Amino acid sequence: MSSHYEAPIRKPLIIGDKNYHDVTVDVARPVEGRANRQWWIAFSIALAAFLWGVGCVAYTVGTGIGTWGSNKTIGWAWDITNFVWWVGIGHAGTLISAVLLLFRQKWRMAINRSAEAMTIFSVIQAAMFPVFHMGRPWLAYWVMPIPNQFGSLWVNFNSPLLWDVFAISTYLSVSLVFWWTGLLPDFAMLRDRAITPFTKRVYSIVSFGWSGRAKDWQRFEEVSLVLAGLATPLVLSVHTIVSFDFATSVIPGWHTTILPPYFVAGAIFSGFAMVNTLLIIMRKVSNLEAYITIQHIELMNIIIMITGSIVGCAYITELFIAWYSGVEYEQYAFLNRATGPYWWSYLLMMACNVVSPQVMWSKKIRTSIYASFIISIVVNIGMWFERFVIIVTSLHRDYLPSSWTMFQPTFVDAGFFIGTIGFFFVLFLLYSRSFPVIAQAEVKTIMKSSGEFYKRKREEGGHDNHSHSEHNHH
Amino acid sequence: MKALYKIALLAVATASITACHNKSEPNYQYMPNMYEAVPYETYSEHPVFPNGKEGQLPAKGSIPRGFTPYEYPNTTEGYEMAKANLKSPLDSLSIDPARGEQLFTIYCAICHGDKGDGKGNLVKREKFLGVPNYKDRAITEGSVFHVVTYGLNAMGSHANQLTQEERWQVARHVMDLRSKL
Repeated sequence: MSSHYEAPIRKPLIIGDKNYHDVTVDVARPVEGRANRQWWIAFSIALAAFLWGVGCVAYTVGTGIGTWGSNKTIGWAWDITNFVWWVGIGHAGTLISAVLLLFRQKWRMAINRSAEAMTIFSVIQAAMFPVFHMGRPWLAYWVMPIPNQFGSLWVNFNSPLLWDVFAISTYLSVSLVFWWTGLLPDFAMLRDRAITPFTKRVYSIVSFGWSGRAKDWQRFEEVSLVLAGLATPLVLSVHTIVSFDFATSVIPGWHTTILPPYFVAGAIFSGFAMVNTLLIIMRKVSNLEAYITIQHIELMNIIIMITGSIVGCAYITELFIAWYSGVEYEQYAFLNRATGPYWWSYLLMMACNVVSPQVMWSKKIRTSIYASFIISIVVNIGMWFERFVIIVTSLHRDYLPSSWTMFQPTFVDAGFFIGTIGFFFVLFLLYSRSFPVIAQAEVKTIMKSSGEFYKRKREEGGHDNHSHSEHNHH
Repeated sequence: MKALYKIALLAVATASITACHNKSEPNYQYMPNMYEAVPYETYSEHPVFPNGKEGQLPAKGSIPRGFTPYEYPNTTEGYEMAKANLKSPLDSLSIDPARGEQLFTIYCAICHGDKGDGKGNLVKREKFLGVPNYKDRAITEGSVFHVVTYGLNAMGSHANQLTQEERWQVARHVMDLRSKL
């Protein structure tokens, strides 16, 4: 320990008198225990919402897209709004596990597992919208450049909707591999602790025979770093590509070069808000307060504040450029957002995205769990409206006044969205009871540098804590 | 060995999917969205029509644009009148010997022979006999047109294969052949 220098200013990331075994026990407890009543209630509600969504999707596919509120002018509405919203939410997971890894942020270790789970589950939700908003989803495989009998009819690689296909599928697969690689040591831990033959078998299969040798760990670290290096440009490009769906168009209000970074910032903003929402609940119900501390929440709040400010700057930039451009269509698009029939959605978006994160400047608010929880939900509502405003208000009034119209969602639009929320929580609730929700292998690596006990010990003992060993404080 | 099993499994799966195609029946279709026509297709069958056929007869006495009804009746008198009075409407510019020959080869030569000598392929193979040589008959362009339009004895009407103008081209070609015999 004497060789270790840790700035005393850094607060502990693991609270309490924890040792390695305590971490294992705390992480394994939700998996090894039985689900309580509240879990079953939450799961039932999520499952009901999911099944309702399945019904709505089946109705849409069986009857047609006309069951939705979209019309000839507004061809994209809730479908793409929800798609972009879910993709955006998914971005925080990769950001936490990849970007924060590249920046050597130790605080990511307690939250990266759940954040990545959130990524994967929300990308799955997102991926459903591009398929089911198709008029003929059974021909969705045509978006793949597969050699075929139509004279090898190919796809046009100029469409951002095709780039979406590649972006989302790559994003999902890379995230999944990254997540699963990180899970191997933790699954191995559960395997080694399993007492029933069934769980033993299950965790033996999913842990791929991880035995934790030095060589394995060395390669594990290298793979994590390489994947983090790959996932970082991916996370930036995926939402950029999603933003190209709009930015490459000629629609006033869509055709903007600011959209790629602004969408990515918005994605991180909404994604971190979702992580905060989930983890604030999870730390409580899974008794993980010692690992997901107020400091974690505060740091996430700071990121929310930063990205929220970036989004706010982007809104102002758009407004400025609209005025500066001298293009009357562009100017009208923004005038319409602010004062048109959807003024309330623009106001909601501005209030939720620009104003609400600014309260995080106050330390009192950003270290308050209740305030963080409420703001995290407000942010996600705001980010939903951001996508809604961009999509619908730009479409419903564009070049020709004769094609101006309004959008009114139907219950099927809403049902599909509710269904994806339900499906997300079905997956997340199942995950939280069968997966190690904290990367215990990683948390154990910061035990001695960032654990509260060891930090205190260092402060007290100065250079005299050589003899300190793992279990002697018990 | 494991890979071999997988390949075998794939082969069996492929075979079991593709083996279901019966060659005496149309193949299976995947989502035939716009395969069957919504409108009535020519020659198709549909119960909405009295005799189930899409091709309904036009009202009697109606004249489509660009069509002149043929005034000579399908009788011996009609034939004689056509032979005597009917003249080709084709002038020197609209006569197309190449097309006349082509149409003759397609529709007539199988019985009448390429030279019009009554030695067509069917006659040579003795499928049936009694096709006259053009030289042996007193025919005019008008009578040829009349016969091609209505048919005569063993010959059937060719009015549904050849338009009026085409029939005149053929009649012209018949007269050319006759002059060479």
